[in-house]
Amino acid sequence: MVNAGIVLDQILTGLSIGSWLFLVSIGLSLVFGVLGVLNFAHGVLFAMGAYVTVSAVSSSIGNFWIGVVAAGVVVGVLGIIIEMGFIRRLYGRAEEELEQLLLTFAFVLILEDGIRMVFGSGTRQIDPPSAFGFDIVVAGYSMSSYRVFVILVSFAVMGGILLTLKTTNFGRLVRATSSDRDMASLLGVNVPRLYTMVFFIGAALAGIGGAFAAPLQSVTPALGETVIIEAFIIVVIGGLGSFVGTFFGAYLVGIMIAVGSIFAAGAGQLFPFIALILVLLLKPEGLTGGANT
Amino acid sequence: MSALELEDVNAYYGNSHILYDLDLHVDQNEVVALLGRNGAGKTTTLRSITGTIPRREGRIDFRDESIVDDSVDAISNKGIKLVPEERRIFPTLTVQENLMLSRDSCKGESRPIEEMYDIFPILDDLRGNNGQNLSGGEQQMLSVARALVQSPDLLLLDEPTEGLAPVIVEDLEEILKDIVSEDVTVLITEQNVEFALELSERAYIIESGENAWDGTIEELRDREDLLEKYLSVGVEE
Repeated sequence: MVNAGIVLDQILTGLSIGSWLFLVSIGLSLVFGVLGVLNFAHGVLFAMGAYVTVSAVSSSIGNFWIGVVAAGVVVGVLGIIIEMGFIRRLYGRAEEELEQLLLTFAFVLILEDGIRMVFGSGTRQIDPPSAFGFDIVVAGYSMSSYRVFVILVSFAVMGGILLTLKTTNFGRLVRATSSDRDMASLLGVNVPRLYTMVFFIGAALAGIGGAFAAPLQSVTPALGETVIIEAFIIVVIGGLGSFVGTFFGAYLVGIMIAVGSIFAAGAGQLFPFIALILVLLLKPEGLTGGANT
Repeated sequence: MSALELEDVNAYYGNSHILYDLDLHVDQNEVVALLGRNGAGKTTTLRSITGTIPRREGRIDFRDESIVDDSVDAISNKGIKLVPEERRIFPTLTVQENLMLSRDSCKGESRPIEEMYDIFPILDDLRGNNGQNLSGGEQQMLSVARALVQSPDLLLLDEPTEGLAPVIVEDLEEILKDIVSEDVTVLITEQNVEFALELSERAYIIESGENAWDGTIEELRDREDLLEKYLSVGVEE
């Protein structure tokens, strides 16, 4: 019999996992929703964000927050180079999707080995910023204040994205272009430039996600590989291109991973895959029903 | 003054050659109809003008400047606005958001959105409705409004009455008559020949991607042979 207290404890852990999984998946979802590109390199961009932050903290800079900003900027700019220099050449080709997947997978291999060359193959670890040196205790359940902070960041990012989509012209452009890019061009929108901007934001979100996740887990060159699989599961469960779906999908997967581990070693990793299969069989458009929600 | 000038235009989809040495011109403030059967190349002609076709050759000038090598958005920003055959309203944007997006995407002068609700009162009550929840007629009105808000120098209307109920077609005709009486240059394609003749001053008939005839609407009304041969219609006096 599983103790209810343990389950609740694991749900809290799941919320923490879900929060940074959301920060990874939202960029993937954004890029897919607008550009139609399944960016396999999104995970390695996340890993690069973590490494940039680790470097900032362990170098003479010694500041986590500078690391977060640097992760967003460095990885975002790398995203611009990948989109403008490479992915852009594949738009509109007959085998567009397959070629995009192969191209972005090539970036996984190149960037992952790049990380190994620069940082070595070993594991790196950093502590949360010193301001978060305390735990938050509610009704006997405790959680580190940094984990609570990252959960709040994920809510803030989701809120910011929904507000941007609903109230700004950029948001309307994103929603319009994801359903009909040619009509947007006919209205005078420079779609290639919009795509580059969206790819920049998607990559920067991966970098920032990596930065916030760095104190929560060991940072290794292969970090991106695990993360990209989980992120793909999340965007499929939530509905490809749906931002709200990605949000709930991330928390659902986070809780499944944490709660699953109560039942058997490895069960936590298995549950999201079972959920993926069930969603693909029973509701292939995802729990929220697709793009633009 | 010639607003739009096409000379020896050829257009292709992949290996299919669709337009053959097509000539066409539209003068400033003129309303011209482009007529022909289904598949004659009317929509392809409009696509050649807007740049949304993979390959086009020949001379396409707008206000004496070549646009044949320009991108779709660059052509739009020169003032050529299309109301597409499929309407292509952004489905998850509301009526108001569709108009705001259009206004804010326009590099040149734009018109106030409120003016659009004066022209199309039917849209006024639907401001908050998503595009995908509008009827065909409402979508068509919004599609025209979305082009008008960008204050077009040349308005391209592709089959505006297609699939609409007769009563909606009458409404649309009244509205378009008001619009074309302003200083606006229009090129319209229509299967509904009577509708096109009511609005236009001059017409081109194309057949299998080639020029078949051109002249004034009065001349065309007297040529029942042409109407029957190329358009399979009789026209009421």
